[in-house]
Amino acid sequence: MPIYLYLDRRTFIHRLHPTVKILTIIGIFWSVYWVDNPVSLLPLGLLLLAGAQLTRAWPNFYSLRWLFILVIFATTVTWIIFYRQGKPLLHLGPLFVSRASLEYGLGRGIKLAELLATSVLFLSTTKVEEFAFGLAEMGVPYRVGFAITLAFRLVPLFIDSALTVVQAQSLRGYDFNRGGLITRVRRYVPVTVPVFMGALRKANNMAMALEARGFGYSARPTSYVHYEMRPFDFAMLLGVALLGAAYFLIYYTGYGAIAPR
Amino acid sequence: MKTAMESQRAIDAGAAGEPAGEAAALEGVSFRFRIGAHPALENIHFRQRVGEMVGIMGAAGTGKSSLARCLNAIIPGFEYGQFKGRVTVLGRAVDGARVCEMAPAVGMVFQDFEAQLFSTNVAHEVAFAMEQVGLPPAEIRRRLGPALEAVGLAGFQDRDPTSLSGGEKQRLAIASVLAVEPAVIAFDEPTTDLDPEGRAEVFDLIRRLRGRGLSLLIIEHETEEMRQCDRILILRDGRIAAEGPPHRILADTRLMNQCGIRPPGINLVLAELGIDAYAASVDEAEALIRRSLGLPADFKVEAAQTAGIRSAAFQPPSSPQAPPLVEIDHLTHVYGGQVRALDEVSLRIDAGEFVAIIGQNGSGKTTLAKHIVGLLKPSAGRVLLGGRERAAMQPAQAAAMVGYVFQNPDHQIFAGTVGDEVAFGPRNFGLDAGEIQRRCDRVLKAVGLESMRGQDPFLLGRGERQRLAVASVLALQPRLLILDEPTTGLDYPQQRRMMDLIADLNRAGTAIVIITHTPWLVAEYARRAVLMRKGRKLFDGAVRDLFAQEELLASAAFRVPEVTALSRRFGMVALTAAELAGALRGAG
Repeated sequence: MPIYLYLDRRTFIHRLHPTVKILTIIGIFWSVYWVDNPVSLLPLGLLLLAGAQLTRAWPNFYSLRWLFILVIFATTVTWIIFYRQGKPLLHLGPLFVSRASLEYGLGRGIKLAELLATSVLFLSTTKVEEFAFGLAEMGVPYRVGFAITLAFRLVPLFIDSALTVVQAQSLRGYDFNRGGLITRVRRYVPVTVPVFMGALRKANNMAMALEARGFGYSARPTSYVHYEMRPFDFAMLLGVALLGAAYFLIYYTGYGAIAPR
Repeated sequence: MKTAMESQRAIDAGAAGEPAGEAAALEGVSFRFRIGAHPALENIHFRQRVGEMVGIMGAAGTGKSSLARCLNAIIPGFEYGQFKGRVTVLGRAVDGARVCEMAPAVGMVFQDFEAQLFSTNVAHEVAFAMEQVGLPPAEIRRRLGPALEAVGLAGFQDRDPTSLSGGEKQRLAIASVLAVEPAVIAFDEPTTDLDPEGRAEVFDLIRRLRGRGLSLLIIEHETEEMRQCDRILILRDGRIAAEGPPHRILADTRLMNQCGIRPPGINLVLAELGIDAYAASVDEAEALIRRSLGLPADFKVEAAQTAGIRSAAFQPPSSPQAPPLVEIDHLTHVYGGQVRALDEVSLRIDAGEFVAIIGQNGSGKTTLAKHIVGLLKPSAGRVLLGGRERAAMQPAQAAAMVGYVFQNPDHQIFAGTVGDEVAFGPRNFGLDAGEIQRRCDRVLKAVGLESMRGQDPFLLGRGERQRLAVASVLALQPRLLILDEPTTGLDYPQQRRMMDLIADLNRAGTAIVIITHTPWLVAEYARRAVLMRKGRKLFDGAVRDLFAQEELLASAAFRVPEVTALSRRFGMVALTAAELAGALRGAG
C-alpha cells in the first residue's frame, strides 16, 4: 500500500531545484494565508489547476477526490454555521446564514483545498530524497531531513502490519465495533500492542541496518545527485515572490477580506 | 571528515605487522547481553583469510549473528553487554569503533530486507551507504552501475524498491553493501524470508561474489547451500563446536543432528546405507551408491519395491458422500480491479486431510487461504464450508470450521500471559469460564506450553511464540487448520517440533492445510499437494505424483528435495532418506 504520490514524469516542474520547490510551497501557503474572500482565492486556484495539468498529476487528485470533497464540504458548512456576521438571509433558531457567512465558509473551504492541492502537487513532483536535499540546502540538519524520508518508508509498513493484525484478531472472533467511543478505543488494544511491538522490533532492525551502512559516519554526507540552480529556477522564485507580494497587497488593500453586509 | 578511501587506507596501514592475507579475526571473544542468563559468545577464536568464504551454522540462539556482529562493532557498540576479547578487520583493531565507522570495512546483509532499504528509488538506495561514508559524487556515480550489474539489477535504477520482489530487494541490499567495497561481507540469514526463486537468486549471486575473491561470511540454516563454503563453523551454546571443510562437517550427520542442523538429504542416504563418504551433489551421491552397492549403470528399483510406499502414503478421502469441509467452486479474485490473483480455482478439502499449497510468491496461495477463512470476498465463484456458503455464515460458526495461523505469530500476540492469549478467542465467542479453562488446558498441553501459562508471551522464543499462535487458534476447535509458512524463522529442531505438532493434530482428526516454500516439509509431512502458478491451480494430487513431474515443478520454480532427485536416478520417487535407503538396501 504505497503512500508516495510521486509521479515519475519529466515536466519542467519536476525538474525544478528542490529548494525552489520548497520555497514555492511556502510562497503559496503565504499567499493563501492572507486572504479569506473566495474571489481573491480564485486566481491561485486556477494557477494550481494549471499546475496539475502541466505536471499531469490528475491521477493523484482523482485518487484523493473524496478527501478534497470532504474537506471543502465539511469546512464550508461548518464555517457557514459558526460565522455569525452580516445581515441574515436565514435565521432559524441557532441556524444563521448570511451572505458574509456563505462567502467566509466557501473561502475557508477553498483555502484548505488549495493548501491540500499544493501539497499534492509538491509530492507528485518531488522525490522524498529531493525533499531531503532541499531541506539540507536550506540549512536543516541532515538527520531531520532523513527522518522525514524514513517516515515515508515506515508509514506504509505500519499500515500493512496493522491491517494484518486486524485480520488476525477478527478471525479469533474479535469485534472492534462494539460499545461507545471510549470502549471502542479501548477495544483496539489487541491491535495496538502487536503493531507497537512490531514497530519497535522493526525500528531496532532498521537502526542497526542504518548504522551498518554508515549512517552517522559524517554529519553532512555527500550526495551523488546534485541540483544546479538554472535560469528557470530563478524565474520561478521571482514568480513566487511576485505572487506572495500580490496576495499581501490584496490583503493590505482590504480586497481579500470578507465585508460583513 | 574522513572519507571511505581514507578509512580504507587507514585499515591498510594498520595491517602492517599482522599476518598477511587475514580479512578478519576474533581472539578470545566472549559476550553476554545485558539481559541474558547465558553468554552469547564464549571464548571464540576465529580467523578468516582474505578471499575465504566461511559458513556459520547452528541452532537458534547459539551465537551465529553475535559472532558476525562483532566484526562491525554492532557488538558491543549497538547491542550492549559485557564484551571481552579482541576483534580485528584487515589487521586493524575494531576496539572502540562506532558501527558507522566500520561500514567501509565490513558490509552486512540482514534477514529483514524491509528494514534495510531506506530510499524511494534503486539508485538512491545503492548510493546511500557511499554517501554516508563520504565518497565523492563522481566516485559514487562510477560505482553505481557496476554494483547494480553485479547483482543483476542493471536498468532498475529508477524503480521504487517497494515494487521489487523479495529476491530483488535482497539483491538490492547486497548491491548497496558491495558498492562500498568492504573487506568482508557478512550475510545474516539472507534468504530466510524469501521464496525458492528468491533464494536461488541470492545464492547464485553469492556464488558469483565468491568467484570475485571477496571475503564472505554466511550464516544460513540450509545445509545444501553451504557446500560452496571453504570452511564451516558450527556453534553450540556460544562456543565453536566444530570447524572444518564442508566435506568433513556436512558428512558428519550425527554431529549436525546434535547441533540442531538438518543434515543434507543425500548425506543422510549415504549414512543410512553405511557408506562412509561425502557427496557434494546428487551426481556424486549416485556414483558413490552405485559403486558401493555394486549397482550397474542401468539399475532401477523394482516397481514392486515402491508399490508399498505409494499406497501407504496417500489415501483418498474416506467418505466421498459427506459434504467436504471446504469446497471452492471456480473462485476468481481480482485485486484493485487489475491484478488477477486467482483465476477460476476449484478445490475440495475433506475431513482429516493434510494438504500443502505450494507455489512462488504471488502465485495466489495466501489469497486462496484468505478466501477459505472469509478475509476476502470472491470476485467470482464461491466458497462453501461444510456444504454451506461461507459468506452466509456467522463468525462463530466459521471459526469452528476453519482456523488460520498467520505467518508471523507477532501479528496476533498481545495479552499479558500465555493463558490469556489462548483464552482470547473462546472469550470473544462468549464461552463459559469452565469451557474456556478446559480448552486452554487441552491446547496448551497439545503444543507443549502448559508449564508457561502464566508467562509473558513476549518473553518467549520465536518457536514458542509460533506454537502459542497455533494454540490460540486451536482453542476455537476448528475442523480445518490453515497455517501460512509455519516454520519461517525457526531453526531445524523448532521446525521439526512445529511440524510434528501439526502432524499430531492431523492424526487426532484436524484437517491441515499448510502454505510453504520448504520442499522437505512437503515431502515428509503432507499427503496431498496443490501447486499454484499465476493464480491458477497447476496440480492437485498426491505429493509423490507431483514430485515425479520435474518439468511442471520447474515451471513453478519449485525444486524437489535432493533425496527425491537422487531417488529418480534409481527409477523411483522417494520422499525421505529412509525410504530411498530402504529401497536401495532391498535391491542391493
